[in-house]
Amino acid sequence: MFEYMSLNIAPWGYEITIYFFLIGMAAMTFVYASAPAVYGNLFGGAARSAMEPFQTTGMILSLILLLICGPLLIADLGQPGRFLYPILYFHWTSPLSWGSLFLPLFGLCIVGYLFALATKRTSWLKPIGILGSLLALAMPLYTGLDLMVQQARELWSNPTIPVLFVILSVSSGTALVAVVLRISGKMTEQAVELLHWFLYLAVAVTFALFLAEWVVLNYGSAEKQQIWSIINSEYGWEYWGLTFLIGIVAPLILVAIPKLGRNANLLTLAAVLSAVGAYSFRAVLIYAGQLGQLYY
Amino acid sequence: MPIGLQAPPSLGVPGKKRWAMVIDLRRCIGCMACVCADKAEFDVPLGVWRTVVKVKNTGAFPNTKRHFMPRLCNHCDNPPCVRNCPTEATYKHEDGFVLQRYERCIACRTCIAACPYNARHVLPNNRDHVKIGGVVDKCTFCNHRVEKGLVPACVQTCLGRSRIFGDLNDPNSEVSRLVATHSTVVLKPGKGTQPQVYYIKPDRGLTEQAYSEPVSYAAKADARAFYRHNRSSKFFSGVL
Repeated sequence: MFEYMSLNIAPWGYEITIYFFLIGMAAMTFVYASAPAVYGNLFGGAARSAMEPFQTTGMILSLILLLICGPLLIADLGQPGRFLYPILYFHWTSPLSWGSLFLPLFGLCIVGYLFALATKRTSWLKPIGILGSLLALAMPLYTGLDLMVQQARELWSNPTIPVLFVILSVSSGTALVAVVLRISGKMTEQAVELLHWFLYLAVAVTFALFLAEWVVLNYGSAEKQQIWSIINSEYGWEYWGLTFLIGIVAPLILVAIPKLGRNANLLTLAAVLSAVGAYSFRAVLIYAGQLGQLYY
Repeated sequence: MPIGLQAPPSLGVPGKKRWAMVIDLRRCIGCMACVCADKAEFDVPLGVWRTVVKVKNTGAFPNTKRHFMPRLCNHCDNPPCVRNCPTEATYKHEDGFVLQRYERCIACRTCIAACPYNARHVLPNNRDHVKIGGVVDKCTFCNHRVEKGLVPACVQTCLGRSRIFGDLNDPNSEVSRLVATHSTVVLKPGKGTQPQVYYIKPDRGLTEQAYSEPVSYAAKADARAFYRHNRSSKFFSGVL
């Protein structure tokens, strides 16, 4: 009954972090896989030539990730049997309700895209790809919004969180695509160019947002200062080691040096490192965000 | 009406009730009778609380003081838990209560994350007497008692009459008189939740947004145990 012990326990654990990570990965994988149909003429046609062989594989991977995410999220509920309630009793002010609606729709887009590929209905690919890409954007966006709307948690109640989660999903999705292309031997020069461009953008923006977060926490309110202290004392390794050094600085150095960044092996390594950072950054934000409580 | 609610706030609305609680900290002796009464009234399981009395030691020997801070759901007029619930399982009653529909709750714990007062918890599934489990629960201001003309269990049992309950819309009620005649504070007013638990004469250190590292041995031990327990190191974190 002293200052900390009668706090009720932290509500969100590993399942939520893994879900946030995997759904972001699934979303960006969908964007890459649908790129030939949706963004075929952009980047000088690089999206079409680089990602054409990846379409079916990417969609299947995205579907597999989604099939992991759904049950993981349901298993995390205290009442798994009621998993459809957020749709049945839809509450428009709750991002979780929107997420529950978008998640199956995103799944339908993946299945629809695969169906169109299998039956060679090429005219279906672009509309399904555009709709699916918007829903794919909604996936990391709603997970970030889910945190952003928690006005009681100052680490989360921050408009950069949804943007950060979208950017982190670009890193993790790029990592999956790079690994698959490398293993299957389909990492062409155009693919390297495309992935390098996206990874560079994602890691650089993550670096900027990491610095912004650092400044905000140090110059922020008492609760933010408390969270900063918690991050350093409880999650020091995850924050500075896994997220900053391994997940941001190392891949940024690799992609920033032109010779290294355009080497397929090093690019894949950089992407995997950035995915590690994408996971641990989310994990620290989710866990530490729940521990900052004053008055207790 | 603030967005996402199911009933507009009734504070100051003629013909409506607005139940509220005043806690006179000058009278609290830290006996924890309110905590026990609440545990008994609702069969609250071990490890979770609907109400607590926080204890804080300040000063250095021989100038020391022990502060007590009873805590419960603040039944806010603009409750973030209601706004964030994806199934409308938690809702605002027209008399001011913030209540929970157990049959609709999926225990996603968004409301726990949303609450600035840490007033919510998850009920385990394997309970002895009450069969409600696997859902989020909270203080209800004992609305089942209030509807029968009684006061909440914690108010009934409070030895020092530190907790006072009543209708703020009734100018003759004791809570109205206390709020009108005493300097009262609410917790975290900056969060915009419009809480309806009023404190009389709290120590500044108990309510102000000021962060300080735990100082006493007990507080340090509490902090270590709390962070160790809440690091989310377990898979399926055991919320049930």
